[in-house]
Amino acid sequence: MYIIEHDAKELLALRGVPVPAGCLVEAGTAIPAQLPSAGPWVVKGQITMGGRGKAGIIRKAAASEELERHVRSILGTTVRGRTVSAVRIEQQIRGAAELYLSLLLDAASGGVRVIMSDRGGVEIEAVPANEIKSEVAPLNADALAACVLRLAGSFQNVAAHALRDAGQRLARIFLEFEMQLIEINPLFVYPDGSWVAGDAKLVSDDNALPRQAELHALVESRAGVYPEAALKLAHGFDYVVVDPDGDIGLLTTGAGLSMMLIDELRAVGLKPYNFLDVRTGGFRGDPARLVNVLKWISAGRHIRIMLINIFAGITDLGEFSRLLVTALQQVPEFKVPVVARLAGNGLSDARRAFEQAGIKLYTELDEAIAEVQRQLGAA
Amino acid sequence: MINPRIDTTAGVIVQGITGRAGRQHSRIMKDYGTRIVGGVSPRMEVRDVNGIPVFPDCRAAVDATGATACVALVGALQLLAAIQEAVAAGIKYLVTPTEGMPVHDALKALHLTRDADVTWIGPSTPGMAVPGQVKLGFLPNDSLRPGTLGLMSKSGTLSYEAGYRLAQRGIGQSVWVGVGGDPIKGTRYADLVPFYAADAATRGLLIIGEIGGHEEEDFAAALIQHRFEKPVFALIAGRSAPEGVTMGHAGALVHGSHGSFESKRVALNAAGAQVFSSLGEMVEGVARRL
Repeated sequence: MYIIEHDAKELLALRGVPVPAGCLVEAGTAIPAQLPSAGPWVVKGQITMGGRGKAGIIRKAAASEELERHVRSILGTTVRGRTVSAVRIEQQIRGAAELYLSLLLDAASGGVRVIMSDRGGVEIEAVPANEIKSEVAPLNADALAACVLRLAGSFQNVAAHALRDAGQRLARIFLEFEMQLIEINPLFVYPDGSWVAGDAKLVSDDNALPRQAELHALVESRAGVYPEAALKLAHGFDYVVVDPDGDIGLLTTGAGLSMMLIDELRAVGLKPYNFLDVRTGGFRGDPARLVNVLKWISAGRHIRIMLINIFAGITDLGEFSRLLVTALQQVPEFKVPVVARLAGNGLSDARRAFEQAGIKLYTELDEAIAEVQRQLGAA
Repeated sequence: MINPRIDTTAGVIVQGITGRAGRQHSRIMKDYGTRIVGGVSPRMEVRDVNGIPVFPDCRAAVDATGATACVALVGALQLLAAIQEAVAAGIKYLVTPTEGMPVHDALKALHLTRDADVTWIGPSTPGMAVPGQVKLGFLPNDSLRPGTLGLMSKSGTLSYEAGYRLAQRGIGQSVWVGVGGDPIKGTRYADLVPFYAADAATRGLLIIGEIGGHEEEDFAAALIQHRFEKPVFALIAGRSAPEGVTMGHAGALVHGSHGSFESKRVALNAAGAQVFSSLGEMVEGVARRL
């Protein structure tokens, strides 16, 4: 899960990482009369993507009128399909150098990669490779601390001091919260070696949430900001509305096949509403997951049809089809036609259940997609 | 070199054999021809499952049966301990289908299995198969067919679909390895490039990838490094996924251009691989070359 900057900074501040004084302003709420710092400020749109400065949703403000203008203009902006629903207003840092520091799980080398540079900021991608120091350490506190010391030691006095201190603190946080990525860019460093995290990009591990109480609480308390993670915590599977205007609800299992189906539907000009990896293996005889999914899909404003695609490996299709028929009875508001494609274990059982329920069943995906197209075209 | 072509006579034990998945899939694997010789269940509530003897721990199971391979069907938060137990008991080939293993646990397991020279496939994998001979995990029989195409996949279900359609066209697999959809894993695409290059039964290689991470890019670099000469095909899912949102698999998170479909397509093309973004095109493309 990609944690928004404001939450990331609050989390880091609780662990003693210096961050610029700031506050969150959500759409529809007023700017607090008493801001955490006097001007000048920076207004930063809170969405989980890089390149926010270049996209125009990070702006500096010297006076209150300018601040209000920026807050108003950034809130509600849409960048690459995402709408900014909150901004962080924070103290503008001046008189400091901009450095770069990150720690990430490195899949290829099987360790934690620590990256440092004394030339950070928005143009980090343009910094020559020889000015970026990087090393991989095994995943344990001592090795990581030693790695930070070695890397920081290759910089000049002030930078070395700040990178060493920041690196040590962030390494502990990386382990404590089981992070996949912590990136501080820029890391503001004053001439006396003291430092402030100018930005903070944290990617946590959804799989570790059950044993990460603070992150668990964050997701629960801010479900509107982390809808996918909150849904997974509450229900044990993944569901994402990919196009609120979509007219095809998808009942699918398996992340890869579900993504591929969305790609293929879009490639022929169709408009899928949602991504779903319902994890049929987790049903355990209970239709609850299907009941929820049918309700959520029914809530789509333009839904006209639902396409089921299940290729059963671990799943038993007989059980799946019986649970689906039960779930359909429990969700009377679900009224659109259903086209199903099933393959794999238990197909003959499923065929009987679907026949009784009047659901058209295909065994080839292309034929099911063609039927969806036909029904949408005919309507 | 990691060799996923498991010896078909190897004895296999199943951790968590008394659970729902353990009972069902130990039977399906056994019926397929896999030599399932034992199960492990610390509670020992039953003595056998589908005629397979149950032991209290891996050590006892290995001592009694001489097993060298293991399929672990345990919960996500118990998986690291299960792997530690299997490795300590001398298991050399380990398949862990469990989804949801914390990534820091996966990294610890990776160090452990590498140090002990254990082949680890997983987590979040449907398993592996040498079609017609042996399978460890859940790969559905409808999708398996003996043949000459090496197949590696992050996604279970998408690979079932791909294998099924290829099988309908008469194209089968030499060795099929579900590497799994998590960012940190025992075996990555790139790790198996030397194996597929050397494997005489493999005439071409298909990877089924998806957005996120840079495993496809690393695979492309390995093809170049090892001068891989057989035809290579790639099907990549998630072309139309939104940025910054995890789509089911923990590994499928795109930040900026990093991990995007385009970045993978460019890297794979540069290494001579043919990249497809739909199942139908992929099947036709593979059929033309093999």
